[in-house]
Amino acid sequence: MTRRIVGTALMGLVIAAMIVAAWLVPGEQGVNLVSLILVWALFAIGFDLVFGVAGMMSFGHAALFGVGGYVATNLMVFHGLDFMSALAAAAVGGALLAFGLSVFAMRVSGLFFSLLTLALAQMIYVLASNRLRHWTGGLDGIAGVPRPALLGVDFYDNRNYYLFLVAVFVAGLALMALLRTSPFGRALRAIQANDVRAAQLGYNVNRLRQSAFIVSGAYAGVSGALLASLMFYISPQMLHWTTSGDVVIMAVLGGKGTLLGPVLGVALFELLKEELSQYTQYWYGLIGLVFILATIFLRHGIAGLFLGRGDEGKGGSS
Amino acid sequence: MKRRTFLKMTGAAAAASAFPAPFVRAATPEEYHIAAILSFSGAYGLIGGGMRRGAELAVAERGGKVLGVPIRFSWEDDETKPQPAVQKATRLLGQGANMLFGAISSASTLALQSLSTQRRVPHLVTISADDALTVPGGARYSFRTSNTMGMEVQMCVEFARRRGLRKVYVVTADYQVTRTGFEQFAARAAEVGYEIVGSDFAPLGTRDFSVIIDKMARSDADAILVMVTGNDGVTFVRQAGQVALGADRVIFGPVLQDEVLASVTGPAALGVNSGVRYHFSLENDPNRAFVEAYRAAHGEFPSSFAGEAYDGMRWWLRAVDESGSWDVEDWVKNFESSVYADSVEGRKQMRACDHQAAQVGLWGEVVKGEAPLPELTMRITDIFEADRLFGAC
Amino acid sequence: MSTIVIGLSLSFLLFLLAAGLTLVFGMLGVINFAHGALYMLGAYVGYQVALTSGSFWAALLVAPLVVAALGALMERSTLSQVYGRDHIYQVLLTFGLILVIDDATKLVWGMDYKQVPTPDLLAGPVELFGAMIPAYRLFIIGFGAAVSILLFLLLDRSKWGMMIRAASADPDMASTLGVDVARVRTGVFAFGAYLAAMGGVVAAPLVPVELGMGFSVIIDCFVVVVIGGLGSIRGAILASLLLGMTRAAGYTFATEWVELITFVILIATLMFRPQGLFSTKGRAA
Repeated sequence: MTRRIVGTALMGLVIAAMIVAAWLVPGEQGVNLVSLILVWALFAIGFDLVFGVAGMMSFGHAALFGVGGYVATNLMVFHGLDFMSALAAAAVGGALLAFGLSVFAMRVSGLFFSLLTLALAQMIYVLASNRLRHWTGGLDGIAGVPRPALLGVDFYDNRNYYLFLVAVFVAGLALMALLRTSPFGRALRAIQANDVRAAQLGYNVNRLRQSAFIVSGAYAGVSGALLASLMFYISPQMLHWTTSGDVVIMAVLGGKGTLLGPVLGVALFELLKEELSQYTQYWYGLIGLVFILATIFLRHGIAGLFLGRGDEGKGGSS
Repeated sequence: MKRRTFLKMTGAAAAASAFPAPFVRAATPEEYHIAAILSFSGAYGLIGGGMRRGAELAVAERGGKVLGVPIRFSWEDDETKPQPAVQKATRLLGQGANMLFGAISSASTLALQSLSTQRRVPHLVTISADDALTVPGGARYSFRTSNTMGMEVQMCVEFARRRGLRKVYVVTADYQVTRTGFEQFAARAAEVGYEIVGSDFAPLGTRDFSVIIDKMARSDADAILVMVTGNDGVTFVRQAGQVALGADRVIFGPVLQDEVLASVTGPAALGVNSGVRYHFSLENDPNRAFVEAYRAAHGEFPSSFAGEAYDGMRWWLRAVDESGSWDVEDWVKNFESSVYADSVEGRKQMRACDHQAAQVGLWGEVVKGEAPLPELTMRITDIFEADRLFGAC
Repeated sequence: MSTIVIGLSLSFLLFLLAAGLTLVFGMLGVINFAHGALYMLGAYVGYQVALTSGSFWAALLVAPLVVAALGALMERSTLSQVYGRDHIYQVLLTFGLILVIDDATKLVWGMDYKQVPTPDLLAGPVELFGAMIPAYRLFIIGFGAAVSILLFLLLDRSKWGMMIRAASADPDMASTLGVDVARVRTGVFAFGAYLAAMGGVVAAPLVPVELGMGFSVIIDCFVVVVIGGLGSIRGAILASLLLGMTRAAGYTFATEWVELITFVILIATLMFRPQGLFSTKGRAA
């Protein structure tokens, strides 16, 4: 137990150090990289509630991520809504879509759940790429996604926007920490460990899983909106199935089922990408190699190194 | 239409937020840093290399300097995706890059354009053809020296007129730019005297056109317009070749073939007509000098991508140099009223209203080449004058 | 009439693409995301063989064997380490394999597109039912039909097939009966890679050979495999026919909606008959 606490604290320290260090690096390079990490990390911790905690391997989270971004973008660009309201709308949009997807996808479980979420998300991608082009800008996407106008601060300056992202990230992380230790989080773990027994204990298994999916959708929606405004740009690429694949990779690399593991997974992924791509055009292959090795040898991801092995991440979606 | 509104909005937002110091560049720079965001992997990965060679030649030709300081390129790969394009451009602007060059896919270029508007950094486009990149009152710091889709569609119309085509079957990629192109082409039907006898919209990435080709073969069309580009265009022409569709019909399209695509298409490309962005066979002194220098350096003829990149970069750097100033606004003012009399394509003129270069349009046919030409090469058959291709602003 | 012939050629091309995927799933329980990458690799190796030997037929013979050998190597070095674990790890591993295969291909052959010429014998059109049909399409139909019958006989009717099925149904029991389960698994994965590569070589004269070609087919493969029922060769044949014919009709009447129709069929199948439209028995995933 103490190992867990020490380990978690250490992971927290690493993340805090990364956030501070990026700010201390003069210029924009540090903050730009860590901004991206924070946004994806928010996506990943929300994803892990479904994947690591509730044990459902969703391969359709790209849909929630992208639709959140599109909801916010459309409201701001076409309807002149302010940023914070649009961000809230992205959360609602992500949650609603998650609810909609769950109605379809939760008819089946295990591998079929993965395949069905993949198919639904990919269909949304296809729709967004052509049929809904008036709403999505088609494959060209929409450029000029705004940033917040709050307290007279210029968030078009990347260093200022970084502070905003850190605030949202910390709030999202704290909320997730609460959720995971709450009775809701414990019930989800019970389901993951043994859903039949959990049902016998009186948990409404389906309802709980669906709730987890909806919360996860809200996280994905918010992070999608943040990514769009960070990049000033959104396109259906965010909805493509490879985006779902990326977030799965990040969560597993970091350690699924842990609060901070996925954050470290994202950080390692983005850092590798940033560094390797400066030296070789074959960086994606190298990341693939790292990823294969991690899957074979680091069963519990980076978090396993901090927490010691054994007490986390058993079981799964099958 | 809508995109124009965003650009205005973001421009306004950027202006309203009163930019602090980092955006106004210091007056004593030691180098001129060009952030070049191109595709070296992904769907357009093939194009980046040629553009790089072209742009580097334009710099080398000036002794590597502009405004008395050395020019430095940073080459970045956007993987043919907008997000990495913005990410890498943002990083380079953070390091104080003086301008953006790129990207290739219109999606990435549009994303870079909005960055250029927000950061007030000049942006040079030499390949992306989306009409939305240069609209009147659009992005203030962004310029295109190469073809637009609209002008290429006009070339298709002019070609149909010159050849006296009567019945045209059109296949269009289900993509905004090409759909608009199709509408423009269809709108001119009555006036020019052709008739659209069939039309299909194929999803981007279609790997099998056989059913559509079969419909074309069974129609009474005398011409096939292929509003499908890149990979998909190659796939179409190859599969059309397997039923000899081109034997008694003219196959043509806005950017359907060039030497690179023809080499992948194989013999089926012979006789296909296409708009050409730039061609090494153009007879003028600047072009002869360029082709000679390029062949000396790289042992091959410059591709249209290399030619357009060379031409645009050379023009822009000249305008910057002539401004004699480090003020971005002076560069913009100088370039937007600039006339480029010794372009490798003849003459280009920047239009101040939409920052689009008015220029001639080249049209060619794929023919067998004799060494040292590639096995399949374009023969330029028509040169359309700018006033036939560009409307008033 | 020509639409039906073309529909058949679409169907058998789909089948060739998906057969290996459904085989690997049925026998190993592994969803092989890297199937598309192996298909691409097959096309590149095929290009190389065709270029060197000057013969498409040599490519069709040799390239799948080369890719099968590489597949065996991949299975031994990576996948075999994680069979005991949750399905997720196997899926993830194959995801990592995609990245490695893609970049390795780029390293060897570079970025530029390659083309494999249509074999001379099949380059022209053939007149059939009053329409011009590319001879190569007819070859695909014949070849695909032959492969599908052979596969069906091999897996459902032969001793080998029985051994493979025994090893997949109950590895422990099979190994006590003297079946070398590890070798059977390697063999099955290699055979899956063989089929993927064969699909790549057959597709090569139709499309440019390029790095993105694997990504673009993997979803199609999944559709066939899911609709046919995971692991069922018979189902995959029927699903390919259903999908190929639907597409041929779609391209005839409503080209823009083809992609969407595919997804609607897929999603409806997953929701209402996850065991597949043509499966008589459910298969635990």
